[in-house]
Amino acid sequence: MFNIDFTGEFAAFFVFSAIMICGAVLMISLEKVVHMVISMAAVFLGLAGMFVLLEAEFVAFVQVLIYAGAVSILMIFGIMMTKHQAAEREPAKPLHETLAAVGALSLFGVLFYAIRITTFPEAGNFNPGEDNTMAIGELLYTGYVIPFELLSVLLTVAFIGAIVLAKKEADE
Amino acid sequence: MDKYTQAAWIIPLFPLVAFLVLTALGRSYRRAGVFIGSLGSLAAFAMSLLILTDRLSGSEVDYNHSFDWIAIGDYTLRIGFEVTNLTALMLVVVTLVSFIVNVYSAGYMKDDERITVFYGYVALFTFSMLGLVLSDNLLSFYIFWELVGVCSFLLIGFWFTLPKARAAAKKAFIVTRIGDAGLLLAILLLFWYMPDHALDFTTIQSVFDGQSGAITNGITTLIALLIFLGAMGKSGQFPLHVWLPDAMEGPTPISALIHAATMVAAGVFLVARTYDIFQDSAAAMETIAYIGGFTAIFAATIALAQNDIKRILAYSTVSQLGYMMMALGLGSLTGGIFHLFTHAFFKALLFLGAGSIIHAVHTQNINEMGGLGSKMKVTAWTFAIGALALAGIPPLSGFWSKDLILSIAWETNPLLFVVGLATAFCTALYMSRLFFLVFTGKPSAATSGAKESSALMTVPLVVLAALALAAGFIETPWNGWFGGWLNDGAEEAHDSAVAIVASIAVGLLGIYIGWLVYGKRSVSSSALRENTPWLVRVLERSYYMDEFYAAVIVKPLKLIGSALTAFDIYVIGGIVRLTGAAVSTAGKTAARLQNGQVQTYGLAAVIGFVILVVAIVGRRFLP
Amino acid sequence: MLPSYLTMAAILFCIGLYGALVKRNAVVVLLSLELMLNAVNLNLIAFSKYGVAPSLTGQIFSLFTITVAAAEAAIGVAILIALFRLRGTVNVDEFNKMRR
Repeated sequence: MFNIDFTGEFAAFFVFSAIMICGAVLMISLEKVVHMVISMAAVFLGLAGMFVLLEAEFVAFVQVLIYAGAVSILMIFGIMMTKHQAAEREPAKPLHETLAAVGALSLFGVLFYAIRITTFPEAGNFNPGEDNTMAIGELLYTGYVIPFELLSVLLTVAFIGAIVLAKKEADE
Repeated sequence: MDKYTQAAWIIPLFPLVAFLVLTALGRSYRRAGVFIGSLGSLAAFAMSLLILTDRLSGSEVDYNHSFDWIAIGDYTLRIGFEVTNLTALMLVVVTLVSFIVNVYSAGYMKDDERITVFYGYVALFTFSMLGLVLSDNLLSFYIFWELVGVCSFLLIGFWFTLPKARAAAKKAFIVTRIGDAGLLLAILLLFWYMPDHALDFTTIQSVFDGQSGAITNGITTLIALLIFLGAMGKSGQFPLHVWLPDAMEGPTPISALIHAATMVAAGVFLVARTYDIFQDSAAAMETIAYIGGFTAIFAATIALAQNDIKRILAYSTVSQLGYMMMALGLGSLTGGIFHLFTHAFFKALLFLGAGSIIHAVHTQNINEMGGLGSKMKVTAWTFAIGALALAGIPPLSGFWSKDLILSIAWETNPLLFVVGLATAFCTALYMSRLFFLVFTGKPSAATSGAKESSALMTVPLVVLAALALAAGFIETPWNGWFGGWLNDGAEEAHDSAVAIVASIAVGLLGIYIGWLVYGKRSVSSSALRENTPWLVRVLERSYYMDEFYAAVIVKPLKLIGSALTAFDIYVIGGIVRLTGAAVSTAGKTAARLQNGQVQTYGLAAVIGFVILVVAIVGRRFLP
Repeated sequence: MLPSYLTMAAILFCIGLYGALVKRNAVVVLLSLELMLNAVNLNLIAFSKYGVAPSLTGQIFSLFTITVAAAEAAIGVAILIALFRLRGTVNVDEFNKMRR
């Protein structure tokens, strides 16, 4: 079924995916929210490793920087500022949870089935460039400069919006 | 000589236009409303007179004009109008009384807030009644028949703020409906059995007159009795008379117009119009005669004991209508119509006179009146003429018509002759009681300040009094002109000396006794009450007819009604509520999904998506 | 190798979906959303290497996604704080007042 060569890439992939699945499952099942965030950070780091495997070093770097760093910290701040119950309460909606589990599992089943039956064509030759960062930078500032600038606007708007939202009530 | 007759269809249009204009004008145009209403009836009256001259100048043939109204398959319904001597006479009576009542109401109703509405109703009634008279077939006749019923309902309940008026209007409508149902059945039977389903009076006449045998005797009798049931309802014959006395809750001019002169006579007119059917059935004729005779004596005895001036007159109307029916049942069309003709005038006169009195003293109880004769001279004299005409004293009109009926009864049915005589005696007695109690004696508290009514009200009285005096001379024992004219040449003169002498005698006797008791007061009026209290009570309560109906018909109907209501509320309503509850429960269940929980929405979306994908992809595995 | 990466992404996505649908704490729901976005990123980068026409475009797109996700996280936490001030709770099942 899985006629996969045990290459170095596969071994690394196996390790990273083990980390990520463990982190994700812990994220779902842990009780304390802070612990959840930490296990989530493990997922982010594992993902960054996987990006490296896929020859996307710059994206892996950004992943570590933004997700494992900024977003996790942001979430921790969010937890702190809302001083919520440290522990997740017992679920009071077993039907809802069962249905959600069934839905998620069947979605996975569908996806997995689709992945299994699909015959992927032979991959072409991937050229990440001499310097991955430089190649991405060139592409970003030539072909994708308009989306890039739009994104910078989006970030500014989000930044200001976040400040306004968080600050507004404090004045009153 | 049909130059005016051709345009007879215009007559009902005058009051119809008046009604439409009055309705459009609204309540603020009070004087204009009175003027328009009177003008409409005056124009109709003038036109009717012209048509009468046409008929009098020797038109032998009935004028009929009709057109196709509805064609269903190979059946065509024609409607139109027909002018015969009978309808010409009725036209004049209806329009004349209507015009006089219009003028009179200008005085009687002048302080009423809704006088314009009143005039509108009166105009609508006049239109319906004229349409009824002119109809050439039973179907349009029936339509107008119901229309006059509606107008009667509206006008009895004109002062609808009074609970009694409301109840009386409802009662009149419902009781006459019983008769109307009979008439409808009769029309349906006729439609079924007549050759070509013809419903026009001409064909009916020829089918039944010619003894063609197209319709068997049993069916003829059934149709005749059903038609008579309709006539009973409208003309207040026993046992459907109970609505007429209660109808006196309406304005007095209406009592004169609808419930004395015209609408109640429509039943008599109906029988006269379809007389050929009745003549084919001896059983039906006998039924009419006996019911008429019984109604006459029955109502006359009740009238003896009533204290309300209008109720006395109402029972008197019932009694006189009984006379007319009796005449018709005894085979004399002339007698019935002649009495209808004279009665219209003197009974309208009596009602309008009563209205004048009520207007002056603001009570209807004759025991509270007295001594009005010197204060209201015109009213008193005209009322006396009307009362004498009703009592049948020669040479007033009532004498001639009553005498004709009694003569016929003497010749054909001695039992009914005795009944008629007794009725005549009672009539004279209660009219003299009424007259002496109201106009002679000492003024009471109510009458001390009474004044004669205005000219608008007294002039109509004088006109009607003149008619009540003179109208009888068109048919006397030695002059059968009216009968000949009405029956197209076939005279039926009756001159029975016995009847003349007997009717004069009982009339004078009744008046003399009335004078002794109530005028001279040499006989105590309470003697009868002391000796036979039960008799007086029975008469005062109208033989307990209302109570009888309440116990026998109204109560069981109400019981069935409440049972059905319960069925409706608990069974039908239960089903309805169950349906409603089921739907609303389903709605609430569906609404619970819309609980604002974003995660539930998301879950639904995911499941839906999975199902969608599985459904689309799963098709691959199907053969 | 591509199916392995895609399967991995599917696993991450479904775990994230389950967390987003079930968890009551809004912070955890936000985290689950991030997980789902990361699964998408993994797909993009896997295709950028093993796809039919490998190129750097997939990486560029994942960069954009990361940026948008960061903005989303910032806004999400800000809204959370505002809601918490207003309602005194971060439980998602109590944020249901939009229906009235």
